[in-house]
Amino acid sequence: MHRIRFIAQKEFYHILRDFRSLIIVIIMPVMMIFLYGYAINMDIENVSLAIVDFDHSVESQQLTERFFASPYFSPGENEVDMSDPEQLLRSGQVAAILAIPPGFSAALARGEDFELGMMVDGTDASLASAVQAFSNSVLSNFLMDRLPPNFDIPGVTLSQQVLYNPDLKSSHFLVPGLVAVILMMISALMTSMTIAREKETGTMEQLLTTPVKPREILIGKLLPYVVIAFVDGILVLIFARLVFGVPFVGSQLLLLGFGLIYVTTALSIGILISSLVDTLQEATLLAQVATLLPAVMLSGFIFALKNMPFVLQAISYIVPARYFVVIIRGIMLKGAGLEVLIPQAGALVLLMVILMTVAAAKFKTRVV
Amino acid sequence: MNDSTHNSGSAVLINNLTRHFGDFTAVDHISLKVDYGEIFGFLGANGAGKTTAIRMLCGLLMPSGGSGEVAGYDIYKQAESIKKHIGYMSQKFSLYPDLTGRENLTFYGAAYNLRPADLSDRIHELTERLELGEFINQLSGKLPIGWRQRLALAAAILHRPRILFLDEPTGGVDPVFRRRFWSILYDLADSGVAVFVTTHYMDEAEYCGRISIMHHGSIIEQGRPFDLKRQHGTDSLDDLFINLILSQEATRA
Amino acid sequence: MWRGYIGLIRKEFIQIRRDRNMLGIIFLMPIIQLLLLGYAVNTDVKQLDIDIYDFDRSTHSREFVRSFEAGDHFVPEEVISHSNTDPVWELAKRFKTSETQLALLIPPNFSEKLTRNENVTVGLIADGSDANAARAGLGYAGQIVRKYSNHVTGMEVPLEIRHNFLYNPELESVYYMIPGIIVTLLTMVTTMLTSMGIVRERETGTLEQISVTPISSHALLAGKITTFAFLGLLEMGLALAVGILWFGIPFAGSPWFLLWVSALYLLTTLGMGTFFSTITSTQQQAMFLAWFFSVFAILTSGFFSPISNMPIWMQNITLLNPMRYFMTVVRGIMMKGSGPADMIPDILAITAYGLTVFTLAAARFRKRTE
Repeated sequence: MHRIRFIAQKEFYHILRDFRSLIIVIIMPVMMIFLYGYAINMDIENVSLAIVDFDHSVESQQLTERFFASPYFSPGENEVDMSDPEQLLRSGQVAAILAIPPGFSAALARGEDFELGMMVDGTDASLASAVQAFSNSVLSNFLMDRLPPNFDIPGVTLSQQVLYNPDLKSSHFLVPGLVAVILMMISALMTSMTIAREKETGTMEQLLTTPVKPREILIGKLLPYVVIAFVDGILVLIFARLVFGVPFVGSQLLLLGFGLIYVTTALSIGILISSLVDTLQEATLLAQVATLLPAVMLSGFIFALKNMPFVLQAISYIVPARYFVVIIRGIMLKGAGLEVLIPQAGALVLLMVILMTVAAAKFKTRVV
Repeated sequence: MNDSTHNSGSAVLINNLTRHFGDFTAVDHISLKVDYGEIFGFLGANGAGKTTAIRMLCGLLMPSGGSGEVAGYDIYKQAESIKKHIGYMSQKFSLYPDLTGRENLTFYGAAYNLRPADLSDRIHELTERLELGEFINQLSGKLPIGWRQRLALAAAILHRPRILFLDEPTGGVDPVFRRRFWSILYDLADSGVAVFVTTHYMDEAEYCGRISIMHHGSIIEQGRPFDLKRQHGTDSLDDLFINLILSQEATRA
Repeated sequence: MWRGYIGLIRKEFIQIRRDRNMLGIIFLMPIIQLLLLGYAVNTDVKQLDIDIYDFDRSTHSREFVRSFEAGDHFVPEEVISHSNTDPVWELAKRFKTSETQLALLIPPNFSEKLTRNENVTVGLIADGSDANAARAGLGYAGQIVRKYSNHVTGMEVPLEIRHNFLYNPELESVYYMIPGIIVTLLTMVTTMLTSMGIVRERETGTLEQISVTPISSHALLAGKITTFAFLGLLEMGLALAVGILWFGIPFAGSPWFLLWVSALYLLTTLGMGTFFSTITSTQQQAMFLAWFFSVFAILTSGFFSPISNMPIWMQNITLLNPMRYFMTVVRGIMMKGSGPADMIPDILAITAYGLTVFTLAAARFRKRTE
C-alpha cells in the first residue's frame, strides 16, 4: 500500500512541476467555465434591428417602440441609406431591417389586410429563425393590445409552461455538461500523457525492474488524477451554483456515484490510448481526437445528436460522455432518480466494464 | 570570402573575455591567441566554461566584458562577418535527422550562400575526402554515430572556413573513428585552417599544437603539451590535468 | 540572402514530406474535422420530440395534432393512446429521461368549445434545460397554434410581416458553420505548425547550427513563415473545396478578396506561433500554448453563438480576439458577397493586429536567436 502512496506522491510532483499539466488541471477548467458559461450563449436577445418608417403615423411610432421595448431587439446605430438599404446587412451592422410602408395606420384603422416587409440576414440560420419568431410575436402582442379589454377571442390559445429552467438560460444547459468534458479531459487526456511520458523517457522500464507490481504502478499513477478530476468537477459545480445560479435539484450522492463510474471509464480510455502509442506526442494527438473531440461534439453537450447524420449518431453510442451528459442534467436540473436513469446507467456501466477489461489486458501485455 | 586584408594576424585573439549568467560567472577574464594552421585544444572538466567561451567566439552569445577578434573581426560588432569565415560543430549532433546527408549539405550550402554548381562539386569532394560514400544518401538521423560526426564536420567545413570551432566533436565515438577524425583535422590545419577544439579526452589533447586548461571559468594553464608536461614533471596529460585541478581546489578551499 | 531563404524553404518542404504526423495534421485532420464538424455543429432546431396527450380524441383534436406533423419542426408522438399508466407519472418520467422535449396537452372539451366558437386553452410544457431547443419549440408551436386557430375560426389576422431571408433563404446553418470551421482550422494549424516548427529546431540544436551561418534571423524567420503561410492557404483552399463540393455551400464574394484578407490575417497567427516559440523550449509546450490560445480564440469569436448574445464585458473581451474580425469577414465574403467597402473596421482591425503581433514576435524571435 505504501508503494502505491509513493508513486502517487511522485505523480503529484510531476503535475505540480509541469506547467502544461497545471494549465490543463487548473486554468483550462476555469477558462472553460467562463467561456462556455458566458461566451456560448444561445439565448438570443438584443438583435440589432433597423426600422424604416414610411408611414410616419402615431401607430407606426407605437409599433417601432414596441419592437425596441422588447428584450429581443435593439436599435442599430446607423440610419438606413435608402440608395443601398442592404448595406447595413452586408456589413453586419444590423441583423434585420423592418420596413413600415405608407398606409399602415390607415389599413389598421379600417382592419384591412396589410403587409410589413422585413429583410433578415439569413447567414446565421438560428438567429434568423429567432428573428422571425420574435417579430411575429411582437406584432401579435401589438395587435392584442389594440383589442378592447376582456375581449374573448374565439379559437385556440396556448398556455406555456417551461420546466426546470423557466428563464431559458443557456448556462443551465451548458455548465453541467461541461463537467462531463472536463472530467474526460483530466482523466483520459492526462493519464494517457503521463503513462506515455514514462514510456518515452524510459522511467517506466526503470519502475518495472523494481519489485513494484504493474497493478500498483497503475493505481499509484491514476490515483492523483482521480482526486484532481473530482476536485475540478466539484469546482465546476460550485461555479455553476454561485456564478451562474444553476440549480441542483437531485441527489448529490447519486451524482457522485455516477461520477466515479464515468471517471473509471475515462481512465480506462486513457490507459488504452497510452498502450497504443510510443511517444508523448502521439498520445496527446490521439487522446484529443479520441476523447476530447467526441466529448464536446458527440455527447449532446452543445449540439443536438438528433440533428446529426446516422453515422455520427451511431458513433455517439460508444461515447461515454453522451450518457453522462444526460445523467448529470437529469440529476441537477430535473431531480431525476436512479429509476428513470436506468438505461443511461446501464450503458455507462457496460462501457466501463468493456473498456476496463481491454485496457487491463493491453497494459499487461505491452508493459510486462 | 578570402578578403586578403584579414589573412595576416591571428585567427582568434581575445583579452579578458567574461560572461556572467546572473550571479554565476561562466567565463572569467580569459585571454588567448590562436594562429592559422594551428590546432588549439581547449581542455576542462564538464561545466568549466568551454562551451560558453566557444559560443561567444562564434557570435552565438554576447560577452559580458573583455574584448576579442575572430578572423580579424570584432566579436561585439561584426558577428555577421565572423560567421562567413568560421565553421562550427556543436557538442550534440545538430543536423536535421529527417534529411539525408546530401540534403543537409545542400541546405547549409545555401545558408552559406554557395553557388549551386560550386556546391555540388564541393559536396562531391567532401564525400570523397571524408569517405562518406553511400551514407550521404541516407537519412542522417539513422546513421551510426561515427558517420554522423563526419557528416557534421562536412557541414562545418563546406564553405571552406578559415577557422573551425569544434565543441567536443568526438563524444561517444569509438577510438578508430576518433583517429580517422583527427587525421582529417590535421589535413585541415596543414592547409592553413585554425582549428579550435574543446575536449576532455586527454589523449586527444596530445594531438593539439597548443592547449589551454580551463577550470571554473578561468584559464589556469596554457602552452604546448610537451612543454607543460616537462614544467610540471609529469609523464601524461592525465596526471597533469588532475594535479592542476586538485591544487586549484586546494587553494580555493 | 535569396539563396539561403530559398534553401530554407526547400528544406522545410522536404521535412514536411517526410513527417507522417505533420502530413496528417496538415491534410487529413482538416478534412476529418470539416466533415465531422460540418455535420455535428448544427444549431438548426429541427425534429423536436413532442408528446401529445390528447384527452379529447375528436376529429378536431386529431386535425389539430396533424398540424404539428406538417413541416420539419416536430415529431409528435401520441402518448396516452398506447399507455395505460398514469399520464402524470408518464409525463414526469419522459421529461426526466429526456425522451421528449415538449408535451402538448389537449383538454377533453377541446372540440366542444371550438364548435361553440369559444376560446379553448391547450397546454404546452417544455423542457427548459436545453434553452435553445425549448425557445425554438415554443416559438414554432405558437405559430402553428395561431395558424390553426385562424383556420378553424375563419378569422384572418389582417396584419402580417413578410420575412425575406437574404443570403441564406433556406436557413441552412451549415452554410454559416463551414466558413467558421475554415477560420478555426486556419488559425489552429498555422499557429501550431509555426510554434512547433521553430521550437523543434531549437530542441534538436539545428537552430544553433543555423545561427553560426551568415543567414540572418530575418531570412530564417521569413523562410519559415513563407512555408507555413503557403501551407495555411493551401489548407484553406482544401477546406473550401470540401465545403463547396461536399456541403454545397455558396461562395458569393470575391476569392481574391478572401485571399488578400487571409494573408493579412495569417500575419497574426504566424506571429502568435513565432511568439509562442520564443517562450517555450519543447514542442510539447509550444503545442499546448497554441492549443490553449486556439480554444480561447474559437470560443470568443462568435463561431458557435452570436457575440451580441454575450454579456457586455464578455463582448469587450472579444474585441481583443483577432479571430473575431476574421470570422466576420470570411462569413461576409462567402455568404453575403461583402466587398472591402463593407468591412472597413474589421479589415483595419485585422491589419493592425497582424502588423503589431508580427513585428513584436519577429523582434522577440531575433533577440532570442542572437
